[in-house]
Amino acid sequence: MAPSSPWTSSAARDAQAPLDDGRTQASPARALDAATLRSVFCDLLGRPPFAAERERWLGQARHTLIDALLGTEPFWSQWLEEQLYYFFLIDNFRPESERVLAIPADLAAGKLDPREATHRIALSPSFDQRNPGADTFVTVVLEQFTGITVQKNVRELEVGKAIYDGAGGTFLGKLGKRQADIVDIAVHHKAFAETFVAREYERLLGEGAPAKERADWARRFHQTPRDYAALVREWMLSEAWDRRATRKRPVSNRLFARALYVDLLDRAPDEAEARRLRTALDGMSDAGPLRSVFARVLIDSGMVALPEKKSIRDPRAWIAQRFEALLGRTPSAQELDTFAAAFADEACRPATVLYALVTHAEYQLY
Amino acid sequence: MSFESMNRRTFLGATAATLALSAGLGAQSAERKTKHVVLIGFAGGVRTRETFGSPSNVPNLVSLAKEGVLYKRVKSSNLGHYGAALSLFTGVAEPRGIRENGRGEEPTLFEYARKGLGLAAKDVWIATSGGAQQTNYSYSTHADYGERYGANTVDGDGLFNAEFKSILETLGRPKKLDEREADLLAKMRAAIGGADPKAALNNAESAAQVERFILEELTGGTASLRGPNAADAKAIRVARNLLVLFKPRLVAIVLQSADIAHGNFNGYADVVRQNDAAIGDLMKAIRADPALRDSTAVIACPEFGRDRDLNSRRGLDHGDGSEDLEFVSAVAWGPEFARNRVIEDDVRAVDLCPTVCQLLGTTAPRAKAKALPRLYA
Repeated sequence: MAPSSPWTSSAARDAQAPLDDGRTQASPARALDAATLRSVFCDLLGRPPFAAERERWLGQARHTLIDALLGTEPFWSQWLEEQLYYFFLIDNFRPESERVLAIPADLAAGKLDPREATHRIALSPSFDQRNPGADTFVTVVLEQFTGITVQKNVRELEVGKAIYDGAGGTFLGKLGKRQADIVDIAVHHKAFAETFVAREYERLLGEGAPAKERADWARRFHQTPRDYAALVREWMLSEAWDRRATRKRPVSNRLFARALYVDLLDRAPDEAEARRLRTALDGMSDAGPLRSVFARVLIDSGMVALPEKKSIRDPRAWIAQRFEALLGRTPSAQELDTFAAAFADEACRPATVLYALVTHAEYQLY
Repeated sequence: MSFESMNRRTFLGATAATLALSAGLGAQSAERKTKHVVLIGFAGGVRTRETFGSPSNVPNLVSLAKEGVLYKRVKSSNLGHYGAALSLFTGVAEPRGIRENGRGEEPTLFEYARKGLGLAAKDVWIATSGGAQQTNYSYSTHADYGERYGANTVDGDGLFNAEFKSILETLGRPKKLDEREADLLAKMRAAIGGADPKAALNNAESAAQVERFILEELTGGTASLRGPNAADAKAIRVARNLLVLFKPRLVAIVLQSADIAHGNFNGYADVVRQNDAAIGDLMKAIRADPALRDSTAVIACPEFGRDRDLNSRRGLDHGDGSEDLEFVSAVAWGPEFARNRVIEDDVRAVDLCPTVCQLLGTTAPRAKAKALPRLYA
């Protein structure tokens, strides 16, 4: 049983209460190595760890890190970014209203749950502008909130459109009279919980949720959306997440944009920097060439704190550290030999080593 | 089906299909004059009323029609912009979520072309204007096709915009590596063994070409295009430059700006006019290039139309099931096509996929469509 934490569900807390007498419970063998540390940060905060965080958490228990990150404002900020991307509320359609911008802080403070946060997003002017007109608006709400295919549920679409235009009607089993009712009815429908849990699981685990568990998670979320973080905790400590960490996942353009700044500059990009790079990368079916171009641009910009070559007294150790920080693993003996031999050549700069690592296909996985 | 049970339209359709098949086979058996195809998804929802119903809006499309074939009744499917545009490329009309950000299951004509003809990535491109979602047109999840046969997609507005250009202007260009350093870099990259290599869209050579194209294009004028159709204009400009530079076999263009019509009818009509003008520039480049002018076919078709009546915002939505929404007009121009031919019979938007494949000399085996009838001279 996982130890108690603020993000353990209420049922699980009750079950383990008698054991909670201060003793240290045996935790699974889940000490964070460089790869899992990087993956947990990327999954929960949408970026790799900063250097200080890497130092702080390497070797610590995974659940301790998860408990430290879950429910924080950075965690909810990342959650909000992913929701906005899911609804394609990006670029010109990115919400700027105070109510939407306050979502991470309100979630972290417990003033809001993810269902009400989604409700707030859908009532923003940006959502309306992104989905103009009755047909588009109702279709998107049905598809993205409840997973309903409108072509197979023409009645719901037509009733929704009538409600959008101000006529009354029974939409998803409830009476609605105005556009806002469409959103309200949809987010409180059990199909919303099913759709939300399924896509969130897939976002974090990189695979579809198993049917049986999914139904249970959806039921729990539908009843207590405030316990969503407890669900994430379960997922992040599951065997499925262990498999995902071993298997590795492709780095999305959103993650790449943030990871590159963190890895090379030890800071997150600001919102504009991340958006510009992500938008450009999103414009290509194969973003690989542009990722390489931009990585080299950043390395050659003079902003990356690179040591003078002559100051690197132990090149093998320095190269091994770069592998661990950027690829989340130590180099093999053959890799280390090849890199060290190349580095010994006067034409090879420290920047050349970084080029090799961040433009390689392995850097596109985490 | 017995002859007696056929209605007039079915009969005409069947006859047309037979004639088209004969014409298609005849054209296939001869040496193809068509070496390059430009397929323009004149998308975003564009009614015939604002195109061939208002010829002054689209003088360039009208000119193409006079030198080519005009299909006046192309049946489209209201599957949302994404699903409907995707169906142009797959030849299969399947519902897709409006904001769905996933690839289709059915192979696209780009995959058919690359696999069937053994084309390299530099031979097949898509220029888009709608951002992340439209990169999904590049290839499908189908096990026999997929990424290794995908098209390079470039979203003109996403990539060639003033903001991204400013990043590169601020940070500078990547340092040019001397030969020795480049060699060492290649050795180090080759030594890294942790990645699971998979079939990629680009190989090293084509990836390098794409890199060069991006850097060159960023210094050109594409990033500074402005106006309500700026995203579309960039897509057309990118396609034009790709065509002139790489002479690819297939370039698709997907437009989107006309969807401004939801809240602004006049803006929509303006987008239609400006996109027509941009297509005029594209045609000028094709006609001026000896390697393209006698060997390039151009086909343009909206993914669907728009409602018959204005909405309360004096705009046009797309959801009333009217003929304005479901039937659009398409034009085909090329060295092998008939001239000044107008087809009044119903055809389908999904028929574009097998038509383009046939033109290039391959097939679209999974498409649920047939090549356009009475296309060839």
